[in-house]
Parts: sequence; structure tokens; C-alpha cells
Amino acid sequence: MIVALLIAHALLAVALLGAITHQALSVAAPAAHGRWTFIDRFRGVDSAAYATPVVVLFTVTAIGGALLYPQYRVDVRPALEDMQNVAANGVFEIKEHLVAIGLGLLPAYWTFWRRPLGPDTGGARRGLTWLLAVFVWWSFIVGHVLNNIRGLLP
Amino acid sequence: MTDARLRIFSILFGIFYVVAFYYDLALFRYYPEVSQFHWLRTDGLGVVILWYGWIATSALASAAISFAVPAGMAERFWPGWAWIIPTAVVVGTLIYERRWFV
Repeated sequence: MIVALLIAHALLAVALLGAITHQALSVAAPAAHGRWTFIDRFRGVDSAAYATPVVVLFTVTAIGGALLYPQYRVDVRPALEDMQNVAANGVFEIKEHLVAIGLGLLPAYWTFWRRPLGPDTGGARRGLTWLLAVFVWWSFIVGHVLNNIRGLLP
Repeated sequence: MTDARLRIFSILFGIFYVVAFYYDLALFRYYPEVSQFHWLRTDGLGVVILWYGWIATSALASAAISFAVPAGMAERFWPGWAWIIPTAVVVGTLIYERRWFV
């Protein structure tokens, strides 16, 4: 059961990572006219269409992480402490904080992305999107590294 | 809840979360080894998870204040604060969490 939940959590995280990265790059700079590179195609998306999926995926992925957390706290964290790997616990602690703060940001993020998009709120949309993108990337990388840490470390 | 109140909720949530975390103000505690929730610290039940309780504390506190703020004041709030204040909260948190890496 816990393995199935871990896999579902990872797959949802991949979907979230894709959605927030598309949106973050799309608000970073408008796609160049004339040129149509991979990056242009990647960011040349309807940014607002990603807002609701990001809210749903972030929430569901965080709930999955919260359900997995007791297993981490009981089995993984003590093992990391036995390995004297304080930094690994530190990066996970930061992940915990970023996910919690990110959950709290979702209501504001969602209101700023609701159509019609106000021209005076473009900065807030960009800032919140990038903030959430940083949280998601950090959480994704930390989650995967810790999941595989026994194989990654000598 | 109006858009303005939701934005205030989001701004306050991060602040209350950090306060709850720093001062150990978890609304409740979860003891995973015995699968029990407790309002207060209960010794002898193994490791404790405070994270759920910190989130609950900050959600309740920020919801209460965002409801209490007068509508006019909420509407006048500059939208930029919605990402600048949480960014400052994150920077403060990262500075505090340096303790794991020194």
C-alpha cells in the first residue's frame, strides 16, 4: 500500500512539475515571434489554463506526501540520523516548510490567475507562479534524492 | 470569501506557519508509532509529528484574521505583497534552517 502511494505521489509530482514549469516559463518572457524553438513552444502556452490544474495537483500531491510522512518519520529519518546524515534531514525539513507555505499560497495564486486577468496584477501572478515553481522543484528533487539515498551515497 | 480576503489569508498563512513552527504552536500532535492524535505533548508514545498541527494552527489563525479584516482595507491591499511577503518568509526560514548544514 505504501509503495503504491509513493508511486502515485511521484507521478502526481511529475505532472505538477510539468504544469508549473510551463506556466513559470510562459510568464518569464513572452514567446518570440518568428522563431519557434523548443523553448518557445514550451513557454508559448495559455498560462491561465494551468492555474486550476496546478492548484489541484499541488493539493493532492501534498496530501499524498502528508500520508507518506509518518513512514518517513518512523523509518527513514532515524536511519538518516544513524548514518549521521544531518544535511539530508535538513533538506527534507525545508521541503516540509515550502510545501506548507505553498499550500497557503494557493488561494492567492488562484485568485490572481482567474480570468479576466487584471493588467495591474501581472507582477503578483509572476511572483507567485515562480515562488510555487521553486517550491515544487525543490520538493521534487529532495523527494527523489531521499527516496534513493541508499543507492546514491557510498 | 472574497478574492481580497483569500489573498490576505495567503499572505498571513506563511507568517503564522513560521511562528507556529518556531514557537512550537502545533494545534495538535500526531504520534505515528501508535497512530494517535493528541492536543498536548504526550510523552512515551514515540516520535511525534508536529507538521500537521503547524499547518492547522496557521490555517485557523490566518482564516480568522482574513475574515476579521474590514472589506475596504482588504481591497486596498497592494497585490505585490502577495508574493513579496511570502518570499521574505521563505528567506527567513532558510536562514533559520542553515542550522542543519553548519
